[in-house]
Amino acid sequence: MKIFIRITVFVAFVLSLAFTAQAAEIKIGVTEALTGPVAKYGVPIKNGFVLAADEINAAGGIKGNKIVLVIEDEQAKKEEAINVFKKFIFQDKVLAIFGPTLSNSAFASDPIANKEKIVVFGTSNTAEGITDIGPYVFRNSVAEADILPIVTKVATKKLGLKKVAIIYGNDDSMTKSTYEIFLRSIKAEKLEVVDTETFAKGDIDFSAQLTKIKSLNPDAVFCGALVEEASNIILQARKLGIPNKIRFIGGNGFNSAKLIEIGGAAAEGSISGSPWFLDDPSKINQTFVKAYTKKYGMAPDQFAAQAYDALYIMAEGIKAISLSGNVEKDRTTLRDALAKVKNFKGVGGLFSFNESRDAEQKGRVLYIKNGKFAIYAE
Amino acid sequence: MTEFLMSFWQTYNTLFYTVLVHGMLALSIYITLACGQLSLGNAAFMGIGAYTAALFTLKLNAPFGLSLLAGGMLPAFVALIIGVPTLRLSGVYLAMATLGFGEVVRVVFLNMSITGGSVGLNGVPPKTELWHLLLVMGVLIYFFLKLKNSRFGRALEAIREDEVAAAVMGIKTTSFKVWAFVIGAFIAGVAGGLNAHFTFFLSPREYGFDFAVDILTFAILGGTGTFWGPLVGSTILTILPEMLRFLGSYRLALNGLILVLVVVYLPNGIITVKKKD
Repeated sequence: MKIFIRITVFVAFVLSLAFTAQAAEIKIGVTEALTGPVAKYGVPIKNGFVLAADEINAAGGIKGNKIVLVIEDEQAKKEEAINVFKKFIFQDKVLAIFGPTLSNSAFASDPIANKEKIVVFGTSNTAEGITDIGPYVFRNSVAEADILPIVTKVATKKLGLKKVAIIYGNDDSMTKSTYEIFLRSIKAEKLEVVDTETFAKGDIDFSAQLTKIKSLNPDAVFCGALVEEASNIILQARKLGIPNKIRFIGGNGFNSAKLIEIGGAAAEGSISGSPWFLDDPSKINQTFVKAYTKKYGMAPDQFAAQAYDALYIMAEGIKAISLSGNVEKDRTTLRDALAKVKNFKGVGGLFSFNESRDAEQKGRVLYIKNGKFAIYAE
Repeated sequence: MTEFLMSFWQTYNTLFYTVLVHGMLALSIYITLACGQLSLGNAAFMGIGAYTAALFTLKLNAPFGLSLLAGGMLPAFVALIIGVPTLRLSGVYLAMATLGFGEVVRVVFLNMSITGGSVGLNGVPPKTELWHLLLVMGVLIYFFLKLKNSRFGRALEAIREDEVAAAVMGIKTTSFKVWAFVIGAFIAGVAGGLNAHFTFFLSPREYGFDFAVDILTFAILGGTGTFWGPLVGSTILTILPEMLRFLGSYRLALNGLILVLVVVYLPNGIITVKKKD
């Protein structure tokens, strides 16, 4: 009897081995800043990927093949990003790479992926020139350069803006590029800039800048700031007596539930733009928000949503090819298939890659209404 | 086997390059420590060197050797300007001056258009080869080996042990300290130039206070009694986080723990030198 049990166990073991060997694994590398100051972006991004991978695998994988995410921390340091990329390419032999979190790291690591002919897909790199690195570099992060001009145009028309003030952080590439794009679009709308104020990352007191802005009485304030500074600026502005009818208009930094959480009533009416927003009533988005909130105990942000969509977009590409088992060959066929992804329906709306492998997605102008994001204009 | 070695090298060559660059930086701070001065400006010197070398390559199409030389000369020149007034004082004044200097350099990089501002400098061609790094490191090791028993080296040691006594013996303390500081800046600048040409990209945030402290940690962990100490320290601190990668999110915690243990049990650094009586 004992021997019989042993044999059954042995056979079951061998069978399970054979079984796992049969269902191939699709290895995808994910590298984001999971520790350090940039982790506040990197962690939601990772969460978005893990949620999407779990969903795809629970639904039977891609043609029966399970997705395996190899996740590595890059600490938002360029050397780390390079090391992880090389590990993914030469050791883990992944099919494609997601990441890194910052454009700065991407400028250092993406050239390696491009040289080794493996798809690198950025979900949070918004700097200009990322996809110019080469034909293997993709991204679905909608650049502010595409959305902010629309935001400016809509706000100018709806609010009848004539003279505006600008405040931005001049020591951060993200907020500085927000400023530059705003400045271009403000000029295009022929608005008068009465005042330009700057601050540095980590500042907590903005009263000097805001007092000056108040004295010049602009119709609206354009704001290039990450969410912590942005919330503080708006709060202090209202305290100094800048009325709510003088709207704050911001970039990506404004598109966060934290702005409402910290800013509260002061943030009412603030305007921003993005393809995705938390309170988007579409069914696919509500399912995503629910699943994410259940799994991680907090609401997703734009970074999580873009990562979530990105993995589904990647899955579309993988679906379109037949895996040969030769990873070098599969990497190049995947590149061609991925570039052809069109009209994918994700949580951020319809998505396609354009010829330069950047996102082609309709941006929506949003504002905060009754403590929620709502569509200001399509 | 060869295939394994190939893929191992492909994966870890950048790490090895970084080990060598960090080693040079550790030596750049060692030479000021060798005369009892603490410089917190070596990250900034590295930054000046990196930007200078990268701009020479990008804008002037200069040969690599010339870019590197320029990347060493400019920080050395800047060090001379800061060093002459501050090193006449004794005590912690160099640390304070270089701390402020580092911040100034970062803000200058942020606001200059030729350095790309906060966006950084993108598309630096990969020109650094392994032999460049090994050659520079070889020259440095030879220099430090020779330094130990040279007039210059002995003067530095005398200043470290007792500056007043050294001055009484006729050593021109200020000029030796300035020389050590300038040489340190030159080494850091060359290391920056080499680093810029294998990481494709530069941004001002890399050369801030955090990295200045990292460089100091290289030297302190390894021990500052001999120049081998900083080399060992930088090698360990560069490789350790990669070796601990399998630990996932715990790796930085363990990395920190190892550092604490070393500092507690080897307070003079890993390489300690027995003093001759």
